[in-house]
Amino acid sequence: MADFLLSSVSKTYKPGLFKKPVQAVNDLSLNVSHGTVYGLVGPNGAGKSTTIRLLLGLIRPDSGSILFSGKLLKESTVQSEIGYLPENPYLYDHLTLAELLNFCGQTSALSISDTHERGQVLMAKLNLLEVQKRPLRTFSKGMLQRAGICFALLHDPSVVILDEPMSGLDPIGRKMVFDLIVELKQQGKTIFFCSHILNDVERLCDQIGLMNNGRLIKQFEREVFLQNIGKTVFLHTSILDESQQLNIQSLGGSIRREGEGHLLAIPDGNYYPVNSYLEESAIKILGCRSEWMSLEDLFIQSVKESGQ
Amino acid sequence: MKSIFALATITFKEGIRNRSLFGIALLALFLFGLNITVAGFFMRDIGKVTVDMNLSALSFAGLLLVFFVGVNLMAKDIDRKTIHLVLSKPISRAQYIWGKFFGIQLFVTVSLLLLLVLSSLTVLLLLQMYPAYFVGFSWSIFYIAAFFILVKFSVLAAIVVFFSSITSSSLITLIFSLSSYVAGVTIEEVVFYLQSEFAVQEKIISESLKIFIDIVSYIIPNFTVFDFTLEAAHGLAIAGNRIFLSLGYGTIYISILLMLASFIFARREFN
Repeated sequence: MADFLLSSVSKTYKPGLFKKPVQAVNDLSLNVSHGTVYGLVGPNGAGKSTTIRLLLGLIRPDSGSILFSGKLLKESTVQSEIGYLPENPYLYDHLTLAELLNFCGQTSALSISDTHERGQVLMAKLNLLEVQKRPLRTFSKGMLQRAGICFALLHDPSVVILDEPMSGLDPIGRKMVFDLIVELKQQGKTIFFCSHILNDVERLCDQIGLMNNGRLIKQFEREVFLQNIGKTVFLHTSILDESQQLNIQSLGGSIRREGEGHLLAIPDGNYYPVNSYLEESAIKILGCRSEWMSLEDLFIQSVKESGQ
Repeated sequence: MKSIFALATITFKEGIRNRSLFGIALLALFLFGLNITVAGFFMRDIGKVTVDMNLSALSFAGLLLVFFVGVNLMAKDIDRKTIHLVLSKPISRAQYIWGKFFGIQLFVTVSLLLLLVLSSLTVLLLLQMYPAYFVGFSWSIFYIAAFFILVKFSVLAAIVVFFSSITSSSLITLIFSLSSYVAGVTIEEVVFYLQSEFAVQEKIISESLKIFIDIVSYIIPNFTVFDFTLEAAHGLAIAGNRIFLSLGYGTIYISILLMLASFIFARREFN
């Protein structure tokens, strides 16, 4: 069953008098299945954060419907089941992290002992135990980001919405957060996240949606673009002429143009005949790769195709 | 109820740890000190001037507390989008409004109580120094007047919460709240003037303006009903029904404002 089902959702902002309305989300339909990690990527202003606000009920769609676990979305129905981390979380300056987590526990109807126990576990995972009694205004950007993650996860939500979770984190912080997301994934939680760091999206997501100008321009499973089902060898060669391309394709290889040459995908069983042909034809091999098309390639190609 | 309590607690902590509080306390201390220094100049009016200055200092400090700290306790949440985080927890929008109000209210109450202790010490000191000039002074009337300063700022806190529920900018909230306060402390005088014979003689005041002021006087809070400084300074007894009416007016005004704020806030979108 889908945790979130959006059908033809549109949202237009009215910035003010005499200003042109901005269509932030346009006819968006997407399906976030239970237990999956859904990554929404897109350029700045694509409508990703607006989509998250729609899912949280902070704004209402002009048209279309949003279902949460099969029921029409209402703020009160989702809050207890969702953990949310906004991009650049602004937390209360004069509170300590421990006080912030106590607040979260109280509002989420957790007992004092549960709040303390879960808080300690999360803070330990995100290396915040030593600073839990310090005012949040003294935290660095990365520490605030990690504190925001603790706040989002304290009540053990079944759905986690993360808006740029790696933003402002150093490599160690990124690793901590990455491991935490992997752990949440293993626990079977549904994770919906937006990120500009495509490498993280590639590594974490089961489903990926590409958004541009408020529209979902492409949606696919992770394996589709990786072509990693079965064993495949990817070789980067010099430019091939048409007859060479036809010959390689007849031997079972796939070809696409990339940069100053071509990229070949050769299934394991067809490797030797293709390799012999490359040697006979004196085709220069420039290198090898681990994937058919990176998310970055696909992202740029899709944005170009959609008219930007 | 637990959510309202939790929100009120963090709002109170945010307020009470704000550094502006030290500045406001120092200013109030300066005014109390000034009172002690200059009291001797007023001879027979020492008692009246002391009570007047102390209650005015409390009132001024309360005003600064609400405008410099109280406004930010809710408006900043919306301005900085902290509200996105808070509303992602199981808190309804109405609970948010009431929680914020009780938090600001608690912060103003505790701060004013601390200042009232210092104010009482100032009055006590001058009472010991010049007992002959405190004829008719009553601690109970002094504390009733101080209590109604708190009621006045509770109404102002509700006004701040109301405007914060409408706008996204803390500056606009501050301007609207300040305007409401200025209008609220002067509206009674304006209404009395329009009803007086002097106004009848002024032919330039049109009927439509009078009707407009009449309508506005029912909307804008009348802050003068909470002013018992005169009674406290002169040691005049305060009738029980006046206390009851002023308190009832304040309570009803706060309740209506918060209900309206909850209604508007529930329909608001947070971009």
